[in-house]
Amino acid sequence: MPETATPPQQNGGGFKLPDFDTLKKEVIDSQIWRSMFRGGVWKDTPRDRAAHIIGNVWLHLHPVKVRPRALHWTYTWGLGGISFMLFLILTVTGVLLMFYYRPTVDLAYRDMKDLEFAVTLGVLMRNMHRWAAQAMVVFVILHMVRVFLTGAYKKPREFNWGIGVILLTLTLFLSFTGYLLPWDQLAIWAVTVGTNMAGATPFLGNEGPFGALMGMRINNDVRFTLLGGTMVGENTLIRFYVLHCVAVPLITGILLIVHFWRVRKDSFSAAPIDPAEEKVDVWPNLVGREYIAAAGCLLAIMIWSILMNAPLEIVANPNVTPNPSKAPWYFVGLQELLVYFDPWIAGVVMPNLIIVGLMAIPYIDTNPKGIGFYSLKERPFANAMFLLGVAMWFILIYIGYYCRGPNFAWFNPWESWLNQKPAMPPTWNIFGPLEGAVPFTFKMAADIVGGRLGGLEPGVVPNLMPGWLGAIVLGGMGGFLMIGPKLIQKDIPGKTANLAFIGAMAVVAVLGKIFAGLPVMQGLWLVFFAWTGFYFGFLLPQRHIRQLEWPRYLFTMFLVLNTVAVPLKMGARLAFNVKYVLTFPTISLNI
Amino acid sequence: MHRKLFVAFNVLLVAAFVWSLAVDYKKDWRDIQAEYFKKTAAAYAEKAKSAKDPKEAETFNQLSKAALREPIMIRQIIAKDLNRIDRCITCHVGMDEFVNPTLTTPHKEHPFTGHPKLGEIVKNHTFQKYGCSVCHAGQGLATSVEAAHGKTENWEKPLAKGALLQASCAKCHMNFQSLKGAEMVAKGRDLFEKHGCIGCHSLHGVGGAVSVDLGNIADKPLERIAPFNLSLIKTKDGKPLPKDDWKLPAWIEAHLTNVPMSFIPNDPHAQYNKEPIAPSGMPDFTQEIKHEGADAITAYLLSMSEEENIPHKYHVIREAKPEPKFASAGDHGKFVFKKYGCAACHGLEGVAGRRNYNAMGAGQPALDDVKADKAKLHEAMAMGREPTLPDVLGTYTREELKKKIQDGVPGSQIAKYNPDGPTPPLYMPAWKDRIKGQELEDLITWLLSIAKKQESW
Repeated sequence: MPETATPPQQNGGGFKLPDFDTLKKEVIDSQIWRSMFRGGVWKDTPRDRAAHIIGNVWLHLHPVKVRPRALHWTYTWGLGGISFMLFLILTVTGVLLMFYYRPTVDLAYRDMKDLEFAVTLGVLMRNMHRWAAQAMVVFVILHMVRVFLTGAYKKPREFNWGIGVILLTLTLFLSFTGYLLPWDQLAIWAVTVGTNMAGATPFLGNEGPFGALMGMRINNDVRFTLLGGTMVGENTLIRFYVLHCVAVPLITGILLIVHFWRVRKDSFSAAPIDPAEEKVDVWPNLVGREYIAAAGCLLAIMIWSILMNAPLEIVANPNVTPNPSKAPWYFVGLQELLVYFDPWIAGVVMPNLIIVGLMAIPYIDTNPKGIGFYSLKERPFANAMFLLGVAMWFILIYIGYYCRGPNFAWFNPWESWLNQKPAMPPTWNIFGPLEGAVPFTFKMAADIVGGRLGGLEPGVVPNLMPGWLGAIVLGGMGGFLMIGPKLIQKDIPGKTANLAFIGAMAVVAVLGKIFAGLPVMQGLWLVFFAWTGFYFGFLLPQRHIRQLEWPRYLFTMFLVLNTVAVPLKMGARLAFNVKYVLTFPTISLNI
Repeated sequence: MHRKLFVAFNVLLVAAFVWSLAVDYKKDWRDIQAEYFKKTAAAYAEKAKSAKDPKEAETFNQLSKAALREPIMIRQIIAKDLNRIDRCITCHVGMDEFVNPTLTTPHKEHPFTGHPKLGEIVKNHTFQKYGCSVCHAGQGLATSVEAAHGKTENWEKPLAKGALLQASCAKCHMNFQSLKGAEMVAKGRDLFEKHGCIGCHSLHGVGGAVSVDLGNIADKPLERIAPFNLSLIKTKDGKPLPKDDWKLPAWIEAHLTNVPMSFIPNDPHAQYNKEPIAPSGMPDFTQEIKHEGADAITAYLLSMSEEENIPHKYHVIREAKPEPKFASAGDHGKFVFKKYGCAACHGLEGVAGRRNYNAMGAGQPALDDVKADKAKLHEAMAMGREPTLPDVLGTYTREELKKKIQDGVPGSQIAKYNPDGPTPPLYMPAWKDRIKGQELEDLITWLLSIAKKQESW
């Protein structure tokens, strides 16, 4: 019977349920409620919405109003917010996992098995932690790419971009330290590969240049400090555990606060100011979108984690090295670089140059155009170089992850690793000491180029030309490429120059085919790699940055030439079996 | 739009959480355990019905009800001394000593049965102390069928079945040769000696050095097998070895049930390496040993583990064997021939030389006839043989034979059939440090006694 039909006197003045609105008002106006939440009943006025942001500790990092341009999904894609959400997911699942995990060699792997087989929701927690960690690496990189492409690192946001770069490296380091904790074969060997590179640090590593000079041994260098031993073991596990669970998250958290604070202080969006544009309330416009991005992210990670199990291999065995052993996927690109460069270049110089170069970008890119929107046309040089770098990073990862099999030999992704592979063809050096090396003839060079060199003794590397000549030639070339683009004052027409260069290289390839039997495929590689070097290393800088003042120009060119050197050396190695372009074995200087 | 997304995502998040709970809850072991107790309850109820004494019927009814009240949970044995946690009884509830003290059940089908064979072995190895996996291998921590039985890629030791189960006995019982229940291991050891395996494979440093030491072969990590293409191995019914079984037991057994050359082909034509590499030199034992013998030898070898942390007090010492006595020098020589594993290359009692890839052998076609055809060439190279002793012994004097045994024949001195092919993998080791004194004299006496008489002019 409906309540309204009940005559009130029948209750004899007893208890009557108040209607919803009265009850709501009672609750909101109660002392308890008002002591927790400021403001009375929500009336959805601009004042209410502003008070909601200002008066809430979780929301007060937001401004009260924001320009609608900053709210477009297609502007930010929510990438920064998603990265932070992933950090939160990782914190929560990580803390839950800490209840079950003991970082000792005897127990770590067993605890993984317990999580998998005996703990309620253990599999889900571990999967979510694993996949969110991988996703965070991806999303932080995507966030960086987005910020770059919209020019949002330019003045006054230079410093925050730098903080962002540090956060990116911390993300990688967090993921890397976490990689060891399951204590399976995947874990210890990936970490072994990753930390071995530290041993090649100049001055501080026992295998790095000048390391011996500094008195570095395997048991006192920087790698030893990282591992707490000469190999990955119990000490490494506890070190990585503390770094992973306490130290690095703490530093990351502090820098995140700085990062967000700067975003807020730098007026939230780099989108160009349009006087006609009227700001809108952050509540609910921005907060709602943030919630949707975060919820979508959590949902995706949950579904992915329900469907896909995190890998867990056989228990770690320091005596058995898997062949091949690979670094975690985001470092496999650097590992792949080891094929082309000595460890101190691939494992130390390159990553440091990447970090320094990224942080330097806002200070060397003085182009005032293209802030706050995607535009390839207004920033052709910056965008081209940056995308080249990002593309190379992922191409190297792809090659290292999918195309490298046992003995790190090249296997196409569809090939079985059980197929036997012919031994690697012999390698040679272009410049190096001629004493003691196999006397090199041009017929030999032609045979190498043509892939016909079978008779070379393994381990004996022939050098083509003397090292002093190489130093002069490379120095001269480097010097010219450094300053040449700025010295040529006239704008070189892009299309004509490209066609002329490709044509010239094609002629070289054809001549090679006629006189040395250069195979067609290698001819194509020659044209491609040489053109890559020419276009990114010379033509683009000449056309776009020659107006920069000298210090900025030189630093930019230094970074550009280092970037371009990577594909050039890859081409030389993959297509022509060049081990070193220039080698001085006595001082371990090999390029 | 955003309001709809907000609502939709929240609903989906709750749904995903419920889904994950359901996935987490829906485990095979839960159904299996419930089924076990249901079956047990039904069996007791059946007994209650047929019981004549009402008191007895009441007891059975109580038991039936009690079975249904049992909680469905992960059940495990913590074998402290052996450092194992075995959750096998989560599904095999009938083998839980607390739930089912008799260890027998009326149920016929797995996994509801009790423990088969409840003799001395079970009586002396209480489950609470020993757990399951120390004998049966597999993954004790796991609670899913595939993983627990060690079929997943990330677990080295698959469930030990049939004869291979006996390998576990010999891990502690060094006296396995007289142990009831470990007959297959004992047989494996006998076969290992009879066929001269020790001639090439040493055990803890005792024996030949032609191939690897098998003293801890049971600890060989999967990673060491991974480079081989195990699909070249044929199972009993001639099919390629299924991927599930690419584990150590199958790998060891394959050396005896397959021609080793066929699944370890290496690189005899130098297609991938600078120098040709002969295929596996291990002789073909398939005809002599057969599958049952291969099982026995595999069981024996799988007991060769140094890794398992079994406390010393669990070990049972081997009893001393009486020194064999021989009626004649010849008998002693025959025993020496067996003792040092000469049979591995020269055949049982020296009757026929075994395969030695790319050595000279009887019936090989002329090299030039087959040189062009790789398959035929391979076949001809595979016809290379170790010498058949009775045929050649007659050409030696006693002193020459002594010197030959003492110095051996290194691989480089063995005549190749195909000069471009690999060095034959088998060679005669120098025995001077191992066979000497009376053993050597008597061996030669016996050898000369089996030599075919040479025609004398």
